[in-house]
Amino acid sequence: MNRATQPYIGFEEYSEHVPQSIPLAVQQATSRFVSGRAARVAELPQWEELRQIGSDIRQHTMENMDVYLTRLEAALQSAGGHVHWAEKAEDARRIVLQIAKEHNVKTAVKSKSMATEEIELNHALEAAGIQAIETDLGEYIIQLAGTGPSHIIVPAVHLKKEEIAALFSEKLDIHAPADPIELARIAREVLREKFLHAEMGISGGNFLIAETGTLVMVTNEGNGRMCTTMPDLHVAVVGIDKVVPDWESLTVFLKLLARSATGQKLSTYTQFITGPRRAEGEFGPEEFHLVLLDNGRSKILKDPVGRDVLKCIRCGACANVCPVYKNVGGFAYGSFISGPIGAILSPQMLGTQTARELPYASTLCGACADVCPVKIPIPTILRHLRRRVAQGDEFSALTVPVPIRVAAMFASIALAWNWIYRLGARLLPVINPFFRRNGWLSGMPYPLSRWTKVRPLPPFTARFRRWWNVRSAKWKDST
Amino acid sequence: MMINPVIENIRRSLGRTAQISSPQGTLLSLHPAICEPRLPKSVDSEIEYFLSEIKKLSGIGQRLSADKIADAVKILVSEHNIQKATIWDTPYLKQLGIADSLRSLGVELISPNANKHDMALCDLGITEADYLLPETGTLVLRSSVEKPRGVSLLPRIHLAVIRPEMLRADMHQVFAEAKDSRYLVFITGPSRTADIELTVTLGVHGPKNLYVWMIDG
Repeated sequence: MNRATQPYIGFEEYSEHVPQSIPLAVQQATSRFVSGRAARVAELPQWEELRQIGSDIRQHTMENMDVYLTRLEAALQSAGGHVHWAEKAEDARRIVLQIAKEHNVKTAVKSKSMATEEIELNHALEAAGIQAIETDLGEYIIQLAGTGPSHIIVPAVHLKKEEIAALFSEKLDIHAPADPIELARIAREVLREKFLHAEMGISGGNFLIAETGTLVMVTNEGNGRMCTTMPDLHVAVVGIDKVVPDWESLTVFLKLLARSATGQKLSTYTQFITGPRRAEGEFGPEEFHLVLLDNGRSKILKDPVGRDVLKCIRCGACANVCPVYKNVGGFAYGSFISGPIGAILSPQMLGTQTARELPYASTLCGACADVCPVKIPIPTILRHLRRRVAQGDEFSALTVPVPIRVAAMFASIALAWNWIYRLGARLLPVINPFFRRNGWLSGMPYPLSRWTKVRPLPPFTARFRRWWNVRSAKWKDST
Repeated sequence: MMINPVIENIRRSLGRTAQISSPQGTLLSLHPAICEPRLPKSVDSEIEYFLSEIKKLSGIGQRLSADKIADAVKILVSEHNIQKATIWDTPYLKQLGIADSLRSLGVELISPNANKHDMALCDLGITEADYLLPETGTLVLRSSVEKPRGVSLLPRIHLAVIRPEMLRADMHQVFAEAKDSRYLVFITGPSRTADIELTVTLGVHGPKNLYVWMIDG
C-alpha cells in the first residue's frame, strides 16, 4: 500500500461506532473456530513440539531468506514458470497489469488472497478495464456489498442470510431466497460461468517451497482449484515471507495451519503447483507467473523484535481468542489484516504514524501468543511497537502529546527512586476531596479524565504496603 | 546479471557482508521429530481408519470386491440420475470395466481431455488416487494427460476408485515419493463452505458428493 495515500487508521474512532450486530456475528464465528481448534489440538500429543518446530523453521528461513528465495526462483524457472520481483505495491500492480494486457485479458477470476488485498489489486484492474471477480463465497458476497472483511476466514460473517439474499436479488437480478444452501447454489452457478470464461486466474499462496519452486494453496470451496486450473493464464501474488525451505518443513505447517484456522485436520483442497501444465489435455494454465511481493517485508526483517511477525501463517487463531477483536470485529483495524496480527503487522508495514493506534488495540492478555501456531510473541511485539510509537522510528518522529510525555517523565523519575515513589503515594490522597463522589473519584482533569470518563477510580489511600505487611505476616503464621 | 532490489534489501536487513549461496545454521537437525515416521497398523485397520475419516468428512466410502463394481455403478447412476460422465484414462480403471458398465446403463461418456465447457456438464467424474492418507481421509492425485485435473473438480459428483496399495503412513512418505510432480492435489472430503451464517454447505464450487470405493479382493 502506498504510504503517501494510506489514510490514518483511527481504531479508537472506528471501534466506538461498531454496529452491535458485528460483535455478535463475529463471536459466533470465533467461538466455533476456538472449539474446533481445541478439539484438533487435543488429538495431537506432539502439538507443542510442532509449534516450536514451526517457529524454529520460520526463524531459520527468515535468517536465510535471500538464499531460499534465490533457490525458489531458479527452481521455478527451470519448471517453466515466470518469476517477477515487486519491491513495492505499485510494482506488483504494474507487473500484473502488464501480464493481463499482454494476454488481452477482459475478465479475471480471483481466489481469496491477502497479498492482492494488500496491494489493492482489484482497484487497479478495474481502472484498467479488467473485471476482477472474487470467487471465494464470502469474498464474493462482500465484493458485491462493497465492504471489507469482518473475519479472516469467514469475511462475510457479519451479514445475515436475509441481507445476502437481498444483495443477490438486487445485483444479480434474480429472486434469491434467504437460505444459505440456496444462496451458495446460486453463487456456484454464477461463478461457474466466470471460471469457464475468464482469461486469467489470480491467486495468492499459503506457502512457496524453495526446493522445487512449488506454490502451495490451501482452500475449502474449490474456487482456488478453479482459478488455477480453468484459465490459460495463472498469476500468483505471494509475499516473500511465505517461502519454506523444503517439503519436509512444509509438513509441519500443513499440520499446524488448518487445525489452527478452522479446526479441520486438513482443509478440503491442498494444491501443489510447480509451474505451468505440460500438455493441453491435462488442464491447468499454459503460462504461470509468480509475483514475489516485498512491500516493506525486507525492512521489517531488520528489526530483531518486530520481524517475528513474518513467521505468520495467516490462520486467524489469534483473532479468534482476542477480547478486543471479538468486540470490534475486523473493520476497526482499517487494513487488509485485522486482529492481533494486524495490530503488529500494519504499523510495521504502513508506519507507526498511520497505524499508531493499533499497538494499543490490545489488553496484552497474551491469549494470542498462547494459540499462535508458530509462537509469535505478539504481546512483546505490541509493547515494542508502543515504544516505537512513543519514541519515534524511521517512519515517523515522536508522536506522543506533551502532557503524556511530561507525565511519563515524572512517572519514570518516581519509579526509579523508591523514596520519591513513597512520598508521592503519601501525598496523592490530598487530592481525594476534590474529586470524590459517593466514595469514588470521578471527573478528573486530562489526562486522568481518559480513565474517569469511562469509570470512577477508587480513592488514593497509600495503604498497600501496610496491607501487604499485615497480610504476609498472617500467611506466614498459617503455614 | 540484473541486480534484484528485493534480494538486495533482504541482504542489507540481514547485515550480510558477502553473498552466500547456502543457508547458515541447520534446518533439519533442529527438529528430528518432523522426520519421525508414523507407524502404520495392519492394512485392514488402515483401510477402516481411512474410510472412517472419509465418513467424518461427509464423504461416502465403501469396500468393494472387483466383481461387485458393476452393481455399485448401477446403484450410483440411478441414485443420482447420472446422464453424462468422464473417467481417467488409466489401465487399472479400464481393467475394472467401469466405462463399459456406464455405457450399458445408457450414460454418455466423454473424454477426460474434453474441453472444460463439456466437462462442466458432466454429472460424474471418476479417478483413481496415487496415494491415500488414512489419518486425514485424504486422496492424493497427481496430474498428467491420462489423469487430468478437471475430472475431480468440474463434475458434481467425484468417484475415486482406490486400492490398499495406495495407502501411505503419512505426508512425509507421500512427499518423498511425489515432490517431483508438476501438480499434486490433496482432496480431503467434498467441496465445502461455511461462509453464510456459518452454515456448512457442500459442493459450493467443487463436487458436492465424494464417493470412495476401496477395491480389495
